[in-house]
Formats: sequence, structure tokens, C-alpha cells
Amino acid sequence: MSEKVEQKSPSPISRLIAPVTGRIYLACVFQAFSTVSGIVPFIAVGELGRVLLSAAPVDEERAWWIVAAAVVALACRFLFLMTASGLTHLADIDLQLILRRQMAARLSRVALGWFDRRNAGAVKKALQDDVTALHHLVGHSYTDMVSALITPAITFAYLAWVDWRLTLVVSIPLVFGIGLYALQFRGYGAKMTAYNNALGAVNTAAIEFVQGIAVIKTFGQARQAYGRFIEKTGEFVDYFWNWVRGLLTISAASEIVMSPLFSIAMALVGGLVLVGGGTMPAVDVLPFVVLAPALTAPFLTLAFAQNDMMLAKEAAARIVSLLDTPVLAAPVSDARPENSRVAFDGVSFAYDGETEVLSKVDLVLEPGTVTALVGPSGSGKSTLARLLPRFWDPQAGSISIGKIALPELAPDVLYEQVGFVFQNVQLVRGTIAENIALGRPDATTEDIEAAARAAQIHDRIMELPHGYASVVGQDARLSGGEEQRISIARAILADAPIVVLDEATAFADPESEAAIQDALSHLIAGRTLLVIAHRLHTIVGADQICVMDEGRIVARGKHDDLLRESPLYRRLWSAGGPGRDVCLEAVQ
Amino acid sequence: MMRKLLTVAGQSAQAPLKRNFAGLFAEAVLIGIGFALLVPFLRAFLGGDIELAWRWLGVIAGLLIIYALVRYWTQMTGYRAAIALARILFSQLGTHISRLPLGWFVSGRVGQLARMTSKGVIDVMGVPAHLLRPVVAGIVTPATVVALMFVFDWRLALAALLTAPVAALVYRWSGSLVQTTDHRVDAAAADAADRIVEFAQAQAVLRAFRRGEASLGKLDQSLVEQRHAARNQIFTAARGIASFILVVQAGFTIVLLYGFNLALGGEIDPAEFIVLLVLAVRYVEPLIIAADLEGALRISRNSLDRMDRLLATPSLPEPRSPKEPDGVEIVFDDVDFAYEKKPVLKKVGFIAPERGMTAIVGPSGSGKTTILRLIARFWDVNSGAVRIGGIDVRDLATEDLMGMISVVFQDVYLFDGTIAENIRLGRPGASDAELLEAARLARVDEIAEKLPDGLSARVGEGGAALSGGERQRVSIARAILKDAPIVLLDEATAALDPINDAAVQEALQALTDKKTLIVVAHRLQTIQSADRILVLEGGQIVETGNHADLLSADGRYAAFWHERNRAAGWRLQDTPQPALQPEP
Repeated sequence: MSEKVEQKSPSPISRLIAPVTGRIYLACVFQAFSTVSGIVPFIAVGELGRVLLSAAPVDEERAWWIVAAAVVALACRFLFLMTASGLTHLADIDLQLILRRQMAARLSRVALGWFDRRNAGAVKKALQDDVTALHHLVGHSYTDMVSALITPAITFAYLAWVDWRLTLVVSIPLVFGIGLYALQFRGYGAKMTAYNNALGAVNTAAIEFVQGIAVIKTFGQARQAYGRFIEKTGEFVDYFWNWVRGLLTISAASEIVMSPLFSIAMALVGGLVLVGGGTMPAVDVLPFVVLAPALTAPFLTLAFAQNDMMLAKEAAARIVSLLDTPVLAAPVSDARPENSRVAFDGVSFAYDGETEVLSKVDLVLEPGTVTALVGPSGSGKSTLARLLPRFWDPQAGSISIGKIALPELAPDVLYEQVGFVFQNVQLVRGTIAENIALGRPDATTEDIEAAARAAQIHDRIMELPHGYASVVGQDARLSGGEEQRISIARAILADAPIVVLDEATAFADPESEAAIQDALSHLIAGRTLLVIAHRLHTIVGADQICVMDEGRIVARGKHDDLLRESPLYRRLWSAGGPGRDVCLEAVQ
Repeated sequence: MMRKLLTVAGQSAQAPLKRNFAGLFAEAVLIGIGFALLVPFLRAFLGGDIELAWRWLGVIAGLLIIYALVRYWTQMTGYRAAIALARILFSQLGTHISRLPLGWFVSGRVGQLARMTSKGVIDVMGVPAHLLRPVVAGIVTPATVVALMFVFDWRLALAALLTAPVAALVYRWSGSLVQTTDHRVDAAAADAADRIVEFAQAQAVLRAFRRGEASLGKLDQSLVEQRHAARNQIFTAARGIASFILVVQAGFTIVLLYGFNLALGGEIDPAEFIVLLVLAVRYVEPLIIAADLEGALRISRNSLDRMDRLLATPSLPEPRSPKEPDGVEIVFDDVDFAYEKKPVLKKVGFIAPERGMTAIVGPSGSGKTTILRLIARFWDVNSGAVRIGGIDVRDLATEDLMGMISVVFQDVYLFDGTIAENIRLGRPGASDAELLEAARLARVDEIAEKLPDGLSARVGEGGAALSGGERQRVSIARAILKDAPIVLLDEATAALDPINDAAVQEALQALTDKKTLIVVAHRLQTIQSADRILVLEGGQIVETGNHADLLSADGRYAAFWHERNRAAGWRLQDTPQPALQPEP
């Protein structure tokens, strides 16, 4: 059923399974052989009956041939079946690797900002769970469908050969069954949508209930929240029951009609009438008793396969959307910037392509100077800073380093020039030394230690059980501030001439704030710095301060000038000015 | 599995489940009898006695009608049981979740829990609705058929029965084979998952340090290992499955060859042999269908196991006769507390005076937040006691305790409703005027002014439409409206822009005024103005006193204070401190 749909337009599923389609086809051929061999023993029973019970003397040799055919067919069925499912399962495993590799390769080329907006759990879900969700489809569904189609076809042909009248009689249940089934699925689409909506409401209720319960409890209102949860889930159960209740009679009827016992009874009735009428030998009824159920049995398999196909479709759609994530344009040149002068030229940017977060920003960072971005939250300062290490590409305008536009720079060259320290520190699995030397794998032990000292973390590392060889997360449980200093050591060692810094980094961990600050001082010395500033007194000495508001730079200059000229800067300064946080030491 | 289903179902869903099970059993036996009735029918029919055959057909038809009625009835009861089960599961899980200790709700668990209370319940509903039937039929129908075969010919029946124990053994053996490979598969999947998470989380760093390629290599290694493990499992599992199929097929082959021999030797009536062969065919089929459903059943079983484990998680005991506290002085009396066997607090004792401000300072991981959580009874202490107004928190009714406390923690959770609804949560009975006043005090009115719908603006899921500082202000307004005598405050460490930051400080001022305040403090100003400061280190209180006393004592606190002060005055372009020299 679903296969036809696929052939019309390349569906996500057919696109994803393309690398193993050949093997799936081959497996389907083996499955077809296996199905045919599987029916042979049933036919043999009928034929054996016809031989043994015929009025004429028993043809022993023919009987032996039939028995031998049954035994050989069973063996063949076994071999073909194992081959077919072996093929599909191995194909499935290979496909999993192929898809995971494709996704990983894609992700290593998308804009960095893409990862900012998604949690790693979602990526893991796509690479692991969604790929695994294709298993049943590749491993089972296609071959199951082959069996489900071939079994009734061969059975029908054989029975018609034995006696076409009785064949028509035993086909009645199938016709009725399909009719009832169709009746059951009338208006199914609309009902299914309503069902999914009700299910969605349960999901939302469940998420809200369990996520909010801790807060709710502290307000002493667990009972109301529980009430809401029960109400929503109750609505779902009611909906489901009302929908299903009307269908139960029909579905029971269709399943009774298609049950083996019913088919056999039909064969018996028809057989009795025909044999009683003298138009059919009694032994010819035997094949019908054995094989009539085979006409209806595969129907259930098809119904199950449909369900799997639906699940696989959903997973495939998610995988495809990940594989189609736009990637950053790859540079064609091998240009290198002649200096570290950074220029933002008429830069505009919108995350969603519509609401501009930055509008026509012009900004120059002269080599060796400090530029601070200040402004209320949502003013665009973090976004502007993130464009320089190319988390995103701007929609309009350009950013260049040493007169070369960012998209012209190979990623390696770009990150040789630009380093950054943001709040969310990332250590990778490996030793402390490996983490510090991430950007310079060839660094000597002395280099690494010097960077660690400058970042105020050397002493702490020496306290760890294996020193620099301690494995992060196993030998070493580090606090946020300690991880932060390792990331600064990393940046110091990587030695990029331009550094983008989120000043909030320093007080993300108040306990080691002073140490982080010292580390930062080492990092920025002599570099071109772009800093997102939160506490204004830390940047009063900056070469240029840019006051941002609603995506624009509304004022720029030195601290004293801005205090005079920019009302917004004055407001920021007085709201968060030095008096609020710095306390002169009371006792000296 | 049935037993677990019944325990989890509890009293009210048990009866329909049992009825359904009995019905399915009867249904499967009826099918078996129906197949067996083919023997007398075919004997008469093939023997040429059409009259007698019609009579047997009448019997079969009668049985078919009974089967149809039972089948219809089990269809109904199956879905009724599923519905009853769903209602009871939703209510039991909901009840239990609302009674779990607050400390249980860590972020990783919440997602799992949400799945369990939605998709998990639906998986379990599938068991009585449609999964149980083929499984019962797969076992009971063949058993009935074999039992009745004995009535007709014990030799062939025995031959058919012979394979049953072998098949069962092989089935178990093949299951254990797969299990031995499960470990490697799980480990490989977990490792790959870790690598993927690292790959995604550290992507910025990996690229910035020009290690994009290298990390892809490590990820690739783990993906390749995952493939190896899966292939290894397939080849191992194939041995088991092949053996199972071979045994089942061998059973049929034996009956066929043995019976054929008997029939040729005239020891058995050929008609009877053929009829028994027809039965043997019927004997094998349901077994294979049942084995096919293993996957679907496993999903339901896993969901059921998770629910069972959740329901077995002890909830905080409620006092039988709750007591009333006298005042709101908070006392920690020699409190020991360990979280998942790791000691967090050791012999912590202090008194937080009524309407006073107690600040807790200390390095991260020293147990500061745990103190706040123990007051709100996120967990119970291991030894010692936490008392409010002279009464152990374990002797307070949960609603009373919660009524006395406002909690303002760093991770603010807002509901997907309007700002006003989120504030009103603090006291649902509050008047509009009171709500507006709370909003004004927390400076939420300023946030609302900028939004088209004002206080009726929706905050989005988890409050996503607001900035961090704005969310904090809404949560403070909520606490102001609640007006509880005790405020537990975990001061934010995250950076806010100066304007938001000033607003949050003012809001906190309004909230904590004249309250008994316990605060995990990071701001120097907060610490300095505390009536009492607890200096915590490694889960123990190492110093206590007010700011002036502690400074003059020149101990840990003084060192901490000087350091923090230096940090607060830091400027970006300060000359770097000389790098530390190597230890001699």
C-alpha cells in the first residue's frame, strides 16, 4: 500500500533507504522463495490426503514423493528465510552507520549558531533513536509484506486448480473481512487527527504537570495541578473510548470472519454441499481445510506493517530535515588576512529571517585595541559578538578580517585568527592536557603548563590524582570556575590574535571569580578584543565602548565621553554602577 | 508480566483485567476444540457418511457461534479493561508524583516522567486491548490441540508434544544468547550517544580549535563499534532463532514421517493420519505468531517496569497528627544529610532568628543550596532535625509547611499561561488589586508595559518569551503575592544586564522586607547586610557571626571577603598577576 505512494514522489523513507534498496530487493526475492517453500508442506498435506484416501489403490511412490517434497520444502524455507532476514538485518545495521555518518558530516558543516538553539539531546535523538526507529521497517516490514501478498496469491491459485467452485466459497470471508475493515476505517483520517490532538494534549498536560510540580508544590497547590492533569488525561481517555466503542463491534466481526475456524467452517459447508451433490470427490476438500485460513491470515500482518511504516515515516522525516539543514558556504580561496583588523560593514541579521536583531551595524576593531559592547538585554550585543567567530552569517553586509570577508576564509584560517571564551564551557572527553592542547596538538608539556599557570589553574591540576593526565569527568571532578579556567588556558595556548569574550564568564562562578579574572587578564593582553560587557566598571578603560539598543549602535566612544553624551549609557552606568557591587573593605 | 500488570492496576482495574484474561483463555480453548472437532467430522466425511458429517458440522457451527460471542465479549472487555487501566494509571501516577519529595525532580528525570505519563500509559493500554489475545492463543490453543490429539492417537500426540519442551528450552537458550550480546550493544550505544552529545555540545569549541575533523573521527570510531556490536548480536541471535525454527519444523517433520510410516504399515487409519496432520499444522502456526509479538510486548513490559519502579519510590511520609509551629525561627540541630550515599552536610547546626537575615557563603559544592532545600523538605535529613517554630518539619503537614515558605531559586519555572496567571499562582484567592500591587513591587509592570497584551501576555512554554531577568521578576512577584513569613533565596549567579539587575534587587527588597530570610549569597552587599553569616566548607559550618566579627577574626571568611572584593573592583585591562611559579 504505502509502497505505491513512495514511487510517485521520492518520500523521506525511499530517499534514506536508497543505499540498501538493492539488498532489500534481494531479500524480498529470497523471502518470496521462502514463502513459496513454506506453503508447499501445507499443499503436501492436502495432496497426501488425496493420494492416501483416494478410492484407487494407494500410489505409494507418489506418496513418498509428496512427503519428500514437504521435508525438502521445509528445509528450503528455513534456508531462504534465514538468508532473507540476515540480508535485511545486516542491511539495516549498515544503513544505520551510513545515516549516522551522513548526519554527523552534515552537522559539522552547519552554522555554529544552530547548536546554540538546540540541545544536544535533540541531536542524539535524531542520530540514535530516529535511526533505530527505521529498524523495523528495513529489517522486517518489506519482507513481511512480500509474504503477506504472496501467501494468499499462491494459495488461491492452488485451490482454484483443485476446485474453483469451493475456492470461491472459501474466498467469501476475505471479501467480507475486507469490506468490514474498510467500514472500520471510514473517516479514519479525521478521527486519527482528532486522536493525535487529544494525545498531544495529554503530552502537554504530562510535561506541564511533571515539570511544574516542584514549583506548584512550593505554592501548596499540588492538588489543583493534579486535578488539571487528571482532567486532561480523562478527556483523552473519554475521547478514545467514544471513538473506539463504535468500532469494536465491526472490528470484532471482521476478525471473527477472517479467523481460521470460520474459513475452515466455510470450506466444510461448501465441501459438504458439493460432495453431497456428487460433483466433487471428498478427498479434494482436504486441501481447503488445510489452506483456507492462509487466504485471510496475512491480512493482520499487513495491518501491523502499516503501523510500522507510519512510525518509520515520522522518524525518517526528522532525519531528512536534519540532513537538509543548510550548511555554511565553503570558501573557495585560500586567502590569509594580512592583519587582525576587523570590520563590520552594514551588518544586518535576523534569526528567523524576518525580525532583525541587528540592523546595519558598522564597527571597526583596530589591531590590539579593546572594544566593549554594552546595552540592555536583547539589544543584540551577544548576537553581534557571535557573528565574528561565524556562529551565523549575516543576511546583509559583510564582516572581514584583514580585508578578507569571513566566508572567503577557510574555517582553519578563520579560527587561527579568532578565539572566543563564552559562558558555556565545553571540555571534551580526554585528559586535562589534551583539553588544553586542543587547538595545538603539537604543544610541548612546557607550553601546556605555562598556559595553565597563566590561567591560574596549574596548582589545581597538580592536586588531581594524575595531574595533567587526569581524565576529565573520571579522575577529575571540576567546578564550573575550574572548567572555565581550563577553557581560558586553551585559548591562551591557541594564541589567536583576535579574542571574543563574554565578560559574564568571570562571575558565572562567584567563588573563583578572582582567579578567572586573572586568567582573562592574561588571555587578552596584547590582543584585539571584542567583549560583551555586563558590569560597566570592568570596561571603563576600553579603547572604544559601543552602546547598543534594539540592534543598532546608538553611541560609541570612551567612557568619559559617553557619560556626557549618551543618556542610555548614563542610565546603564547608574543602574549597575560601581556603588552597587564594590564594597570598600571595611577593615584593613 | 500479568502479575505486574495486576499489581500496578490496583483494585479497580483488576476485575476487568481478570475477566478479560478468563475470556481470552476460553476463546483459545474453543478454537482448539474447534480444530479437534475436525477429526470426527473428517472421519465421517471421508468415510462417506455425509449425514453424520452434517451433524458434526452442526456441532462445529454451534461452537463457532459460541466462539464468536466470546470473541465479541473479550473484544469489549479488553478495551474496557484498557480504559479502566488508563484511568487508574493516570490517577495513580499523578497521585504518586504529587507526593514525591521535591528533591526527586531533577531535570533528567522530568523528561522521562513526562513520557511515562503519556506514551507509557498508552503502551500499557495495548496489552489488554490487543496484545494479550495472540499471546494467550499462541500457548493455549496448541496445548488444547495436543491434549485432544491424545484422545485420537496417543503416538502422534506424543510425537507432537515431544518438540514442545525442546522448543521451550531452545527459546530460553536463544534469549540468553541475545542477552550476552546485549551488554556490548548497550555499551556501544551509550558510548556513541555520549560522543554524539559531546560532538553537538562542543561543536563551537571543536571547530574553533580546528578539531572538527579529529572529533568526527572519534565519533566515527564509536559509530563503527556500534555497528560491530550490532553485527555480532545479529550473528549470535541468528543461531538461536535458527535453532528455534529448526526445532518447530522438526516437530512437524517428525509427525509427518512417523505418521506416514504408521499409515503405510496399516497401524493407523490413513484418514485419521491426515486429519491429525491438519491438526499439527494448526499447532505450529499460533506459536510463531506469538513469538512475533515479542517486540511489542517488550515495549509495554518496559513501560510497566518503569511505572512499577516509580510507584515503589517512597514518598515523603505525612505526619499522622500534624503540629502547629510557634513562630518561624529556623533551627538546624546536628543535621547529617547524604544525597545518593554521598555525604553533603555533616553535623550542621545553627539558628536562624525570626525576621532576621541569615546568609550562607562558601565554595561551590559545599552544601549551601542543600540547606535551603532541607528547610523546604525537598528531602528528609539522615539524622538530626530541621525545626521551624520549634516543630520538626517532618511533623508539619506539607501544605502548612509550604504555606509558610516562599522559595526563590535560580531556575525559575513559569507555566505556559499569562503573566498574571503565573503571579496569581502565589495566592489564587488574591484580588486583582493585590496582584497589581505585587506586580508593581517586583517591577513586573515595567515588563508588561512593553508587551502588547500587558499582564495578559503569554509567557510561552517554561517562560521562554521572557528574558532571564524578567522571568526572575515574575517569580518574585509570585512570592510577594504569596506573602509567606519565611523566604528561601538562592541568589542568582548568572549575569543580568545592569537595568534588569537593579530591578531584580529592588523586587527582592520588597519581598524579603520583615521576613525570616535565608539566602545563599553571592553579592557582597547582601552578605554584608546579613544579621548572621554561615561560612560553609565541605558540608560543615566552619565559621559563623556577623560581617564585622568575621572580618576581625581574620579566618576563612576574611580571606574570602578580600578575594571577592578584589574581584569586584577588577577591570578588564588590569595588569595580569604574574603567573604562578612552579612549586619548588
